[in-house]
Amino acid sequence: MNVEMMKQVLTAEALSAAAPFLALTVGILLLLVVEILPGTATLRPLVFLGTLAAAFGYAWQQANGPELRVFAETYVANSTTGWWAILFVIATLVAWLFARKFYREEARFEGEHDVLLLSAAAGMVLMAGSRDLLVFFVGLELLSVPLYTLSGFQRAKRTSIEAGLKYFVLGAFAAAMFLFGAALVYAGTGTLTLSSMDAADLSKSITIAGGALIAASLFFKISVFPFHLWVPDVYQGAPAPVTTFMATGTKAAAFAFLLPMAVLLPSDAAVLLAAIAVATMALGNLGALVQTDLKRLLAYSGISHAGTMLLAVAAQVSGGASAASVSNAILYYMAAYVFTAGGAFGLVTAMESRTGAPVTIESLKGLAQRQPLWAATFALFALSLGGIPATGGFLGKYLVFSTAVQADMIGWAIAGVLMSVVALGYYLRLIVAMYMQEPAKDATHGEGSRPWANAMAVVCAVGVLVLGVLPGWFMEHMK
Amino acid sequence: MTVPVEHLFILSAILFAIGTAGFFLRRNVIIVLMSIELMLNAANLAFLAASRMHTLEAGATEASLQGPLFAIFVIVVAAVEAAVGLALVIALYRNQQTVDLEQVTALKN
Repeated sequence: MNVEMMKQVLTAEALSAAAPFLALTVGILLLLVVEILPGTATLRPLVFLGTLAAAFGYAWQQANGPELRVFAETYVANSTTGWWAILFVIATLVAWLFARKFYREEARFEGEHDVLLLSAAAGMVLMAGSRDLLVFFVGLELLSVPLYTLSGFQRAKRTSIEAGLKYFVLGAFAAAMFLFGAALVYAGTGTLTLSSMDAADLSKSITIAGGALIAASLFFKISVFPFHLWVPDVYQGAPAPVTTFMATGTKAAAFAFLLPMAVLLPSDAAVLLAAIAVATMALGNLGALVQTDLKRLLAYSGISHAGTMLLAVAAQVSGGASAASVSNAILYYMAAYVFTAGGAFGLVTAMESRTGAPVTIESLKGLAQRQPLWAATFALFALSLGGIPATGGFLGKYLVFSTAVQADMIGWAIAGVLMSVVALGYYLRLIVAMYMQEPAKDATHGEGSRPWANAMAVVCAVGVLVLGVLPGWFMEHMK
Repeated sequence: MTVPVEHLFILSAILFAIGTAGFFLRRNVIIVLMSIELMLNAANLAFLAASRMHTLEAGATEASLQGPLFAIFVIVVAAVEAAVGLALVIALYRNQQTVDLEQVTALKN
């Protein structure tokens, strides 16, 4: 590649579109340098936070800037991708802050941990902005490979390795499905870029088969039926801060691409998607009802949330709801979910990090006396996950179900609302355990003070409340 | 005499099916990893076949290079995945002296 070609590709516009991604990449390199140079270990948190701040700044610019289509239309930057990038930065920050002082034997690998976390965040940003199957694939792997490693990060722990291995095996299988699907789409349309696929080629059966394979691999990432079986195991076994990150970030990134990718799916697929969505909600909620391990319970709850969001995708595919309203609904839902699930998993992290033993409903009993702040915020997160009004979770659900109603999928929407009621059963059980039940004699979870966890719990709780009470401000900005 | 492009697609579909079957039927992690590699290479073959199909199409003015390009990316990513995957397998073996997925059952309801 010569200088002239470089000039054509790397225009100022292209660089500004890719700025959040580039900021994260530079941060990764700096972190690696800091890791090598002696005596600079104290700089690590500064570099990490500075990188996230830079990425946030560029993403904020994009969220309020014009739409840019760069690199031959394979990458876009507009307000939606800007907001997604902001969400990814927040999810990374939440996971990272809750990971402070979490690791013990692995503490000396914290530099690697942070680098992997940033790589995954960079992958998410790339996924959300890509409008091309190749660019998306690179983003997907940039996200997935660090996450396999992070899931197995506590290598002395049997459960952690098992989680990493299971995630890897199934993730690699999903990637292979994606690739074969991409090859079929390429065979059918002659291109990998979404914007240059024309309608005639999209209705060929080979393209539809490819689109179905791609959709299946994305279903694996967002964890919907029938590709949800890995989620409870991996969430339970992975280190708690990594689970926090996976629950919030990965799901968001896969949805960010599923929406523009939905053009590959014919409108007849809407009913199938809606059926999958409702089945996912049912399986997630029924699974959660019988769990005692808290990470496992929240994993099943996450599955049902993915099902809820898939209902909005179904509404878009049917053609009844506008792409903008669906994208806003999912973005809002996911924003609320990042704070809610981030806070909930984060508190589980904080409770686990003292003893290293798994947190169960049993160990939540009497938490209100030991840690009133944690109990109060955890109760708020549980209510938001259940979709109680005045929380972000409620508005997210409302927006998603209203897109389904717009698309005349009223029956499916009602089924979804009924599922949310079932879900309240296990969320309320958590609150009852914390406030109304006596702790077991040897209860140790949640003892001791953890200022970081306190601060983060409050920040997440404020996020949940602001999204629930002041939706107007976000709606205004997202237009 | 050249191989018709349909044959390449059929071969890649067969390879993909063999890989998928191996993934679901075998319980040794190493064999499972090999099955995944087979699936990735089936996708590569399909990419190249599609590229040739589009290049030889009537009215095509230039070679369709997106397919071969994607295949190169896939080869790199496959190497990365193999590195991470085998590292996890080694960690598993050190921890439990087994590479059999049936015996990896610490996480259960």
